[in-house]
Amino acid sequence: MKKLLILCLMVIFTGCSSSDSEATVAPTTTGQDPVNQPGENGEQGSSDASWSIPVDEVYDGGPGKDGIPALIDPHFTTADTYLEDSDLVIGFKSGNIVRAYPHIVLDWHEIVNDKLLEEAIAITYCPLTGTGIGWNRNINRAETTFGVSGLLYNTNLIPYDRATGSNWSQILNECVNGELKGQKIAFYSMVETNWGTWKKLYPETEVLSLNTGFSRPYGTSPYGDYATNNDRFLFPVAKDERLPLKERVHAITFEDQARVYRFVHFGPGNNIIRENIAGTEYLIVGNQDFIVSYAMDVTQTELDFKYVLENSNILLTDQENNKWDVFGVAVEGPRTGETFGNARSFMGYWFSIPAFYETNIYGN
Amino acid sequence: MKKRIILFIAFLGSVGAAGQTCCSGGVPLSNNIGLPNEGKNTWTISLNYDLNNLNTLNVGTKELDDDSRKRLTHSVLLGGGYAFTSRFSAEILVSWVNQSRTISQFGNENFTETMGFGDTVLLLKYAFPDLFMKNSQTSIGVGTKIPTGDSDLKDGNGIQLTADLQPGSGAWDGLGWFSFNKALDIRPSGVVTASIIYRLTGENSEYLNNAATYEFGNEIQAQLGYVDEFLLLNNLVSPGLILKYRKVDGDRIDEQLIPNTGGDWIFIRPELNFLLFGDLSLSLRTELPLYSYVEGTQLTPTYRFTAGITYIIRDNRNDLNIIQ
Repeated sequence: MKKLLILCLMVIFTGCSSSDSEATVAPTTTGQDPVNQPGENGEQGSSDASWSIPVDEVYDGGPGKDGIPALIDPHFTTADTYLEDSDLVIGFKSGNIVRAYPHIVLDWHEIVNDKLLEEAIAITYCPLTGTGIGWNRNINRAETTFGVSGLLYNTNLIPYDRATGSNWSQILNECVNGELKGQKIAFYSMVETNWGTWKKLYPETEVLSLNTGFSRPYGTSPYGDYATNNDRFLFPVAKDERLPLKERVHAITFEDQARVYRFVHFGPGNNIIRENIAGTEYLIVGNQDFIVSYAMDVTQTELDFKYVLENSNILLTDQENNKWDVFGVAVEGPRTGETFGNARSFMGYWFSIPAFYETNIYGN
Repeated sequence: MKKRIILFIAFLGSVGAAGQTCCSGGVPLSNNIGLPNEGKNTWTISLNYDLNNLNTLNVGTKELDDDSRKRLTHSVLLGGGYAFTSRFSAEILVSWVNQSRTISQFGNENFTETMGFGDTVLLLKYAFPDLFMKNSQTSIGVGTKIPTGDSDLKDGNGIQLTADLQPGSGAWDGLGWFSFNKALDIRPSGVVTASIIYRLTGENSEYLNNAATYEFGNEIQAQLGYVDEFLLLNNLVSPGLILKYRKVDGDRIDEQLIPNTGGDWIFIRPELNFLLFGDLSLSLRTELPLYSYVEGTQLTPTYRFTAGITYIIRDNRNDLNIIQ
């Protein structure tokens, strides 16, 4: 009896060993997205499973695909809100509609699929890189929504589009896997600042409601002191020590390079920087509450700008008596309706910029 | 026979419990160690199946209205123990694990699964019969968890999965174990049981393609319970009720604490054991959370179910002097 038992145990043990050698992972997805149907190739959306970024540096973030639920039908409230003046928001304006997307909500959802007038926009925000970027949800003339893939590259958000299932790098603003691999995405200009500043700029602003349809402890960061602790990282990433790693900076990106501007570069009497970067004239405007940047066309480079921000959203005036708001739109004067070009810029933690781009720092 | 019953009951209460991972979803290696010393030259073999269901999302102690995430861990645990003397014994526990993560959101279901050999536990134990009082057994043990399980599994796209989805931890852990069982004087078939197990975790230095180190949080658990026995249709049936406290420190990556890991739990574990025939017994246990506190926001155990059989192979059936 004893020998028989030992034999049985050996058989079982051997079975377990073979399973170990065949240890498998089988990610599968069933069902269909109610908003956009998957592409003909199914959830992954492409027969091309390769990545344009090093796949061994792409990590599973833990919650899984859609484990962090993007918002697809956001609700908004008025300016009298739950926010403290120091809470950061990402602001966007389309026509007369002005909306603020607070970090304390974005921390838990990372993507808000919104539509303002005819502009289908995705506010993408990565709490681990502090990057908030607005994307055009119309891709190849078809409107889609974005979800959170649960994957990270350089500890940065990888959204996926529900039309094709393709994965995109937020900071690269490019599809890195799937049917649309290699395709760039259209930017929207956003303004990231604190709520106290934003509501002075746009008292009529709408604010993303806490009525998201999800039960989350908004106001409590899901990542503790991550935003301010320069030592705390959850995933491996290159750490460029030229600046404090979690310092919020403004980055202008061009090709595979970036130029970074710090809040210390701006102050009373020193609010405007003009630079030619790779053949494009940029206008960078900032104070202690926000930094924005614009790409100027040839006629705009001839203007002499003056920083005039006080109690409205008028940021600049020029010798032609134009008034430009913080989104770079001429709202008064002979150029009314004219806009600056998109600088392909965004705010983020310092470390995240050189992790993706060859980066130089203004003033260094 | 009576002594064997007490031994049997002592075994029921001696098992500890511990999850492997940051979110309590892993392999319950220390859930199934702590076999009693059945006497010199005695082998004890156990085979358990364990299901751990995590479908409750908590922030601190508050349960969120969100059941979109589910973690299931199926474990098969094969344990073997050998008593070199009536006091000194050793045991080994090997595991095979299947873990899955299901996200049900927006009408979609995203499913990720890993399976494979888990880590292995070795434990050396020493028993002190009647150390503190008559009809009691005090045991201490030290051991280690050997990283035999894979800790670098990737998904179908070649993307490495997080530590808590891996079958193994990739690190050597140290284990300390203490157990005390006392047969009641007024009711010799009733046994009060208590145990403490501490796991000092090691560091996986090859995490995420060698790009980082990872260390699961140290863990302590203590349990107190009562088990008894009665005859049902001429079969010995032993019900038990165990109260378990478990505390896990937060995990660390590159020595930095990871938010949303660690916590405190109190569980109640009713269990039922049947002495089938001879030295073969069947045990059924379920574990339900009474109190759950998680650091930050985490999935927390919803329920756990364990079923297993234990067989004792005795060289000398008269050598049953553990309790005495």
